[in-house]
Amino acid sequence: MADRDIQMNVNGLALKVNSGPGRTLLSALREDLGLIGAKDGCSQGDCGACVVLLDGQAVNSCMVLAPQAQGRDILTVEGLAENGVLHPLQRAFGETWAFQCGFCTPGMLMSCYALLSSNDEPSREEILTAISGNFCRCTGYQAVVKAVQQAAAEIRASSSGDGEQGRAPA
Amino acid sequence: MSESNVVGQWVPATGAGDIVTGAARYCPDIDLPGLLTGKLLYSPHARARIRKLDVSAARQIPGVFAVLTQADIPGENNYLYSQADQPLLAIDEVRFQGDAVAAVAALDEATADAALRAIQVEYEVLDGIFDPLVAMKAGADQLVEGEDNIIMNQVYRTGEVEAALASADVIVENTYRTQWAEHAFLETEGGVALVDEEGVVTVYSSCQAPHRDRMQIARTLAMPESMVRVITPYIGGAFGGKDEAHVQMHAALLAVAAGRPVRLIRGRRESILTHVKRHPIIIHCITAATREGRLLAVKARAIADAGPYHNATHEVMNKFGEFIGGPYSVQNLEVETIAVRTNNPIGGAFRGFGAPQAAFVYESQMDDLARKLEIDPLELRLLNGVETGTKMYTGVVVREGQAMKASLRKAAEKIGWEKRDQCERQPAPHLRRGWGMATILKGSGMGRGLGDHAGVVLEMHRDGSVVLLSGAADMGQGIITILAQMAADRLGVPMSSVRAVRADTSRTPDAGSSCASRQCMVSGNAVLAAANSIRDSLLSVAAGKTKISRDRLDLRDGRLQVDSEPHALTIEELARRALFWGYPLHAESKYHFEYPADVPAGDYRFSQEVFQFCTQIAQVLVDVETGQVTVERLIAVHDAGKMINPGGVYGQIEGGCAQGIGYALTEELIVNEGRTLNPSLENYVIPMALDIPEMEMDVLEIPEPVGAPLGAKGIAESPIIPTAPAIRNAILDAIGKPLYQLPMSAERVLTALDG
Repeated sequence: MADRDIQMNVNGLALKVNSGPGRTLLSALREDLGLIGAKDGCSQGDCGACVVLLDGQAVNSCMVLAPQAQGRDILTVEGLAENGVLHPLQRAFGETWAFQCGFCTPGMLMSCYALLSSNDEPSREEILTAISGNFCRCTGYQAVVKAVQQAAAEIRASSSGDGEQGRAPA
Repeated sequence: MSESNVVGQWVPATGAGDIVTGAARYCPDIDLPGLLTGKLLYSPHARARIRKLDVSAARQIPGVFAVLTQADIPGENNYLYSQADQPLLAIDEVRFQGDAVAAVAALDEATADAALRAIQVEYEVLDGIFDPLVAMKAGADQLVEGEDNIIMNQVYRTGEVEAALASADVIVENTYRTQWAEHAFLETEGGVALVDEEGVVTVYSSCQAPHRDRMQIARTLAMPESMVRVITPYIGGAFGGKDEAHVQMHAALLAVAAGRPVRLIRGRRESILTHVKRHPIIIHCITAATREGRLLAVKARAIADAGPYHNATHEVMNKFGEFIGGPYSVQNLEVETIAVRTNNPIGGAFRGFGAPQAAFVYESQMDDLARKLEIDPLELRLLNGVETGTKMYTGVVVREGQAMKASLRKAAEKIGWEKRDQCERQPAPHLRRGWGMATILKGSGMGRGLGDHAGVVLEMHRDGSVVLLSGAADMGQGIITILAQMAADRLGVPMSSVRAVRADTSRTPDAGSSCASRQCMVSGNAVLAAANSIRDSLLSVAAGKTKISRDRLDLRDGRLQVDSEPHALTIEELARRALFWGYPLHAESKYHFEYPADVPAGDYRFSQEVFQFCTQIAQVLVDVETGQVTVERLIAVHDAGKMINPGGVYGQIEGGCAQGIGYALTEELIVNEGRTLNPSLENYVIPMALDIPEMEMDVLEIPEPVGAPLGAKGIAESPIIPTAPAIRNAILDAIGKPLYQLPMSAERVLTALDG
């Protein structure tokens, strides 16, 4: 079967990737586009290390075939910071030690970012539900809850005032 | 001196900025021009003779650059954690499902897979040895011809055990069983190898012991160690499972053979099938006490399934024996530790080295004893707990032991132990609530009779910026962050001025393995010594320039301090002057942890001497219809000595508790006749975000007096150790039935309820 080009908007850029049979979105991002933030932890949707946003929805990119992304918007962890300024979630993850090895972090961040896009004041349960598919073996999850709540508070404060700080989720 | 603004602070981990932006590179993220994909062909059988191995067809496939068998290895064909008995590529027999028989390197993954499929192997399947109790009998089929299946049989005795048993008022005697447990580090094992322009074989390694990797790679390639370099990129967790090398030697062999860089990463299934597991152990234990509850004797016999190779079995079972008496002042103790070869998965290092299995036994025994004596479990533990100055059953005298009882009291206070009966014990007809505790100790460091040292290099430049070179692998536990904090603190510079380099054998001195909770102490002390020597130069310059006596001077916040007040002289200015006048701002130090020169007669061999104490208390809800156990609360009170970075310490505790809950309730590798039936994260069930309660953590900061830099003594292993027995004791409290086997699955809880 001939390979074909897939066009998608990745982190705001219109990009082409090459797609053969069985090609996953994860492998297209990592191998064609050099976006190595999303990780392959299990290759079968169990661990959430590969989570990216597909039209705003958190998905395991190892379970999405590249052609399914044709013409759609992809946001990866590399797209969170703007002009070198970290998103409040990214900063909060570092400040609260919401990770140790960090291998789960890109996926975890994207699940949390998707949550904050629709809920600017999530409860502990809502955060745990949002990350229920993201496996962390080093730290566990309550440091992530703390980070998300810290970031949410910061985003609320900056959007209610005139603050330029931090980009509120779409 | 005023309180440090770096040490003890919640400083973000070194590299956090790279991690949150996705820029951090782990082995699977390393790309190089001409990079090939490496893969290994594993045995489908637990035990078989290789009658024929033909790789000629695989070698003909376009895009295949190397296909290696054992015949192609120029040097030693084995791993060398302890004994050189595990081949890198099988010789004439495969002895477990994880034995590799061939290695390939190809242009891409599909071609590498095609090469694996084209390799022809003819196996003669042999009857495997799967039951250690059968394998240890005289006349049993030998796994290695001419060698006993029992690879370890060690007895340690102290005091008068039999007399103590005879005089006891009460005896508790039980048999316990533990399971194979999987590390499940999120980044699977990997290595990326290349030959650089100077002919140096360079391997990026996801590992815990880069310098030992270098030795192993060199002896496999039959090259001098000077021609091998091991670099640790970011590492996605390890927990003991990357202490021994895994695919680094294979990657190096392939890169040399192919003449191109090779990246070899295990898939999740391969990872679970091949690397070492926490040993399953069958333990028979007798605990004897007076009617007042004073412990008189412990007698235990443990039989571990080692799998086919030694790996870390001796180290694990040594620690099992060292801690089987728990944090108690029992003076009569006998422990027999036996390890048996089988064709099952290999047993090896996993957070705690045998201490978690021992704690499941001794803390379950304590609660069974408390019930028999009708003594409160807290009282029983307080009555018998070690203190500062207690001579342990191992012969080691506890230098600082306040945390044993302090952690018990604090944990009891946090959960409201005395008032627990005011809580509803039966919130619904099918639900039972209960509370259970476990308190443990675990040593930090390698132990007596073993080399326990680490080197470090520190250099300050003329602008006051600092480079810290440590060979301690950072697998996420944050060692280079806390080393940088210690350096920044001594040199009076902000964290942002210290660049800590990830371990690279061509630049960073050997620090030994990042295992046994040792790096904080050992590398920490090395950093302090090096920093103090640079500090000495800076203060000498400052004293000369200001004509103020040294004892009034300090370095802090980037400035000289005089009588604790900031002075106009900055560290940068001092560094510039020091270098101009030729004072050394470059220091290398090597720290040796001081153990007694000889282990005194009668003492336990390899004993550790610095102890992490901790207590955890679980509140559980048991559904007596389904057997389902829910952990409603988990209190964890730990002692880490002085916390260098609370973020890292709390992270270690939370993560350890989560691992402990999994070990207690759901995690079990199901192995049938040597075949692992659940090699995936879907079927090996690890607690996820919605499965665990909010941990209620507290840290006691009781400074360790000897060998601990700034009083810090490590934390890494202890958090996982008390969780399973605390939950077991809570289940016992809830349903009145004891469990003696891990994990305490719904099925086993139901069986206990029926019993």
